[in-house]
Amino acid sequence: MLLIGQLSVNNKAVYMEQLTIDNFKAMLNNALKNIKEREDEFSKLDAVIGDGDHGQAIVTAMSAIVATAQKGTEFKSMLNDMGFDVMLQVSGSTSTLLGAFFLGMSDHAAGTELDAAAVKAMFAGGLANVQKQTKAQRGDKTMMDALIPAVEAIQACPSGDIKEILEAGAKAALEGAASTVNLKANFGRARNYGERSIGFADSGATSWSCMFESFAQAL
Amino acid sequence: MSEVKTKFINDPEQITAELLEGYVLAYPDQVKLAAENIVVRATPKSEDKVAIVTLGGSGHEPALSGFVGDGMLDCSVVGDVFAAPGAQRLFQALQLMKREAGILLVVLNHSGDVMSANMACQLAERVGIKVKQVLTHDDISAGIGADDTDRRGLAGCVPLYKILGAAADEGKSLDELVEIAERYNQKVATLAVAMRSCSHPQNGATIADLPLGMMEIGMGQHGEGGSGGQKPLVSADETAVEMVDLLCQQLQPKAGDKMLLIINGVGATTHMELNIIYRKAHLELQARGMEVVFGRIQEILTVQEQAGFQMIAAILDEDHIDYLKNKASNAPYWTTIGK
Repeated sequence: MLLIGQLSVNNKAVYMEQLTIDNFKAMLNNALKNIKEREDEFSKLDAVIGDGDHGQAIVTAMSAIVATAQKGTEFKSMLNDMGFDVMLQVSGSTSTLLGAFFLGMSDHAAGTELDAAAVKAMFAGGLANVQKQTKAQRGDKTMMDALIPAVEAIQACPSGDIKEILEAGAKAALEGAASTVNLKANFGRARNYGERSIGFADSGATSWSCMFESFAQAL
Repeated sequence: MSEVKTKFINDPEQITAELLEGYVLAYPDQVKLAAENIVVRATPKSEDKVAIVTLGGSGHEPALSGFVGDGMLDCSVVGDVFAAPGAQRLFQALQLMKREAGILLVVLNHSGDVMSANMACQLAERVGIKVKQVLTHDDISAGIGADDTDRRGLAGCVPLYKILGAAADEGKSLDELVEIAERYNQKVATLAVAMRSCSHPQNGATIADLPLGMMEIGMGQHGEGGSGGQKPLVSADETAVEMVDLLCQQLQPKAGDKMLLIINGVGATTHMELNIIYRKAHLELQARGMEVVFGRIQEILTVQEQAGFQMIAAILDEDHIDYLKNKASNAPYWTTIGK
């Protein structure tokens, strides 16, 4: 009886109507922790068709983002500072895209708590700004294969529970990243490797899906 | 890291700082350092005119800072040897150059430069800095008619600096300058040929291995291979004709078109040779019915001690010709009294 009672209390506690600054920091911290653990895996995937430095690149970029986020007290300014700092402190495409993502989120978020609609708007803003920076489409075997389905699933989720919304995003991101295994690289320098890229997941799609998975897991 | 035994340098880590210091000491009437790795005019122009800014790695002297001066660039943002400056440095330069009229950033199509430019411009716009970019992609070694995104920016940017500097002085708006630049970009083509390799000044590594007596058409300015492959060296005239032919395949000039022709020495090829090459290239364009209205033989963008040259050809419009020929510039490596 006691056990059931505790469970029901826990269930109630995880129905999440509001996302606080502290919740969001926990999401970011969890993303950095999981990305660090998988650094070598991301680099090995990148080595198939690229420089083999994606693991290091995303750990460096996420570390800068998380360091700035610790100082945040309000969504708009916190996200803006995260975007500025990663771009100014870390060079490379990973930093450009992550920075653009958080700057775009900043444009569509404000205050210290976000409800389900505000969370959806924030992620939609992030994707929109990334799309201004890269012409890569879904199917080109890039991080967009994780990001686009994740944000679409977040928008489409009918729940008012923010954890459930982010779980939908995580599931779509992971499926999107898995789908890149069978794709041929069709964007940027990697395009030159064409056929050689088939059979391996894209490193960026994999690391971004890890980020979305970590977000949902942290709530 | 092997020791560099073929160059007069000091600490390899200080190359960029020391070369820029020497440059501004030599030409104090024209240029100065506004901050670390940011070269600006000694006397800034009035703020109601658009600032022309560019960026790129060092090791290609006199490019790109050699073209800062009245009538040409307002500012050049310099990276380390063969490396793009970071977004932070570029953002700092954009803040220094901020003005109502706006800033035009000329970016050579190399991934590092493009990335820094995109980041810095994105941040600049957020703090209210008016800035637009034009991307140069004059290299044709990716193949005739290749997509612009696959074409690197070579020395064809330098005449564009002169055109834009003169047009900005005349009071052209940011949008008008973008239009002038894009019109030029569509009608300029550059092809490089290398004959002897060079070494990286910081680590001594050989860049591109070319055996004695071989040449490679299409090699980039960091020694990266082109599409033409290596082949035995042929005469100056044969080389010039082959390169003019490739450039004309790209540009499709018509008889009577007014053209620019520049032979840019990349480091170890003598001006004697460059003059001989220029002669045949000019005559070949004439023979095809074109009129060369602007010619130049100079080292404008070098690749250390690599032997070889870049041949730049462009079909010019009347305004381009006016800005190139009739307007003055005191940039240390492109000084002209104009008309």
